[in-house]
Amino acid sequence: MDPVVESYGLTKRYGTVLAVDNLSFKLAPGTITAFLGPNGAGKTTTLRMLLGLARPTSGHATIFGRPYVKLEKPATRVGAVLEATDFHPGRSGRDHLLTLSRSVGLPDSRANEVMELVELEESAKRRVKGYSLGMRQRLGLASALLGDPDLLILDEPANGLDPEGVRWLRDFLRSYASRGRTVFVSSHVLAEVAQTVDQVLIINHGRLVTESSLQDLTSRVGDLVRVRSPRLSELAEALNREGIKTTASNDHSLLAHDTTSERVGNICFSAGIPLHELVREGSSLEEVFLELTSEVEK
Amino acid sequence: MISQIKAEVLKIRSTRTTLGLLLGMIAFALLFSILPGLLSHAAQLTGKDNQVNLLGIGAISGIFAALAGIMLVASEYRFGTIRPTFLFSPNRGRVFASKVVAGMLAGFVFGVVAEGLSILVDFIILRARGISIALSGGDFALLLVGALVGAALWGAIGVGLGAIVPNQVAAIILLLAWGFVVENLVFGLLPSVGRYLPVHAQDSMIGLSTPHLLAAGLGAVVLLAWTAGLGVIGLSLLRRRDVN
Ligand SMILES: Nc1ncnc2c1ncn2[C@@H]1O[C@H](COP(=O)(O)OP(=O)(O)O)[C@@H](O)[C@H]1O
Ligand SMILES: [Mg+2]
Repeated sequence: MDPVVESYGLTKRYGTVLAVDNLSFKLAPGTITAFLGPNGAGKTTTLRMLLGLARPTSGHATIFGRPYVKLEKPATRVGAVLEATDFHPGRSGRDHLLTLSRSVGLPDSRANEVMELVELEESAKRRVKGYSLGMRQRLGLASALLGDPDLLILDEPANGLDPEGVRWLRDFLRSYASRGRTVFVSSHVLAEVAQTVDQVLIINHGRLVTESSLQDLTSRVGDLVRVRSPRLSELAEALNREGIKTTASNDHSLLAHDTTSERVGNICFSAGIPLHELVREGSSLEEVFLELTSEVEK
Repeated sequence: MISQIKAEVLKIRSTRTTLGLLLGMIAFALLFSILPGLLSHAAQLTGKDNQVNLLGIGAISGIFAALAGIMLVASEYRFGTIRPTFLFSPNRGRVFASKVVAGMLAGFVFGVVAEGLSILVDFIILRARGISIALSGGDFALLLVGALVGAALWGAIGVGLGAIVPNQVAAIILLLAWGFVVENLVFGLLPSVGRYLPVHAQDSMIGLSTPHLLAAGLGAVVLLAWTAGLGVIGLSLLRRRDVN
């Protein structure tokens, strides 16, 4: 199938800053792709260029085979949210949606439907200034959904959300994509989206660092294991001898990187070091992400 | 295009900003219709020139219409709604044109309300004070048509200004400084130039008797030219400028 989004050498220069540097990538339909990179990496600038809000210094991008601005009724194909706060505070949530839906001739009933979809129907008539950040995020999402698009592009949608909000967003994106639609979601924290996405696109300093499936990325790294022991320094030595990297966690425990709890346990047994606790902390994906995005800096 | 215009009209109606401007304008128009009407000596209110000046206060709607027009663009930048607006309608020319139409509609309403009120109020006051009305039907028509066509054009000028200077505060200061200071200075020093400036063109459109003003019809053409010129500049900037 044809890619949904194609970027060819997108470049954006602001004065002396190369915000986006010759960035090329493609997004396959039906995938959830995380667009990752630390703050200032150029994610937002890239999305602005994809969506026709900013002009590339060079390069170009297409969505469904055409530049965004050339799409017929783009809102019915692409839903995008770049800022969580793009509302007039004195306008009601529903009126905000109507200013958009009417501009492309969608029926007013769509505004009610998407309000329900994001569970805001009870606040529909209230002015946005009374909305919490989480409600604003969902109102933004609602606006992107008005046209029932096949591609959703969200810039840092989890920013400022409480854990419950993040979970809500995750469930929402999963169910959205389960119907064969495509999601492109940016974040500067891999952990925020790791449970949601299947592809990752990592950039730093405007350049592509990694483009892979989350699975491939995960298989490149082992687990992070937390070990508690009264003989911490001996433990660290034993693990390091076996080529396992360790970092201090607190006074009583340390973290062993890229390994498994079985391996750590066995090494401790052979070395005769007492273990008080051995916990798999999950994958050290976040560390890989941090490494990937700091390598380029050198 | 019709859909976009509907959306722009809804933007005006769905916040209190424009309503506030309208109410402010009504208060202003009433105040400056009633006070001079009641307090001036009868001698200052007789004759056509004096009465046009008195009843012409409704033309102040132009400034308020321009403010409404500025808001139509600048408040979108201020609150970031320009992003969803352009995401839904990437054809910026169409968005701009729709805003011009919406701004003109708002200006038209402003003009009718303000000039209608000042004609009504001062007509009653003059009659009550026993001052004979020196204005012909044609004079009244010129007052009303000049004020509401002017206000509609000012609404469009506001949209153009907002597109040129999307910073709301800066655009408003520019408008007020221009309307109340710059033009009066230029007109005072060089009336042959000043009469071609937009506020004075508007003055001529309602038939004010101030010396050196253009004829009403020419004034309308000049104001239209300003509107078109600012519109062209505003549109090209709006199209070219990145939205952050
Ligand atoms: N409008 C702008 N003018 C000047 N510099 C900008 C502008 N927008 C972004 N930048 C710069 O471009 C770089 C990338 O920014 P951005 O795309 O916002 O990164 P991210 O979204 O990944 O945090 C940063 O150095 C930022 O300061
Ligand atoms: Mg960003």
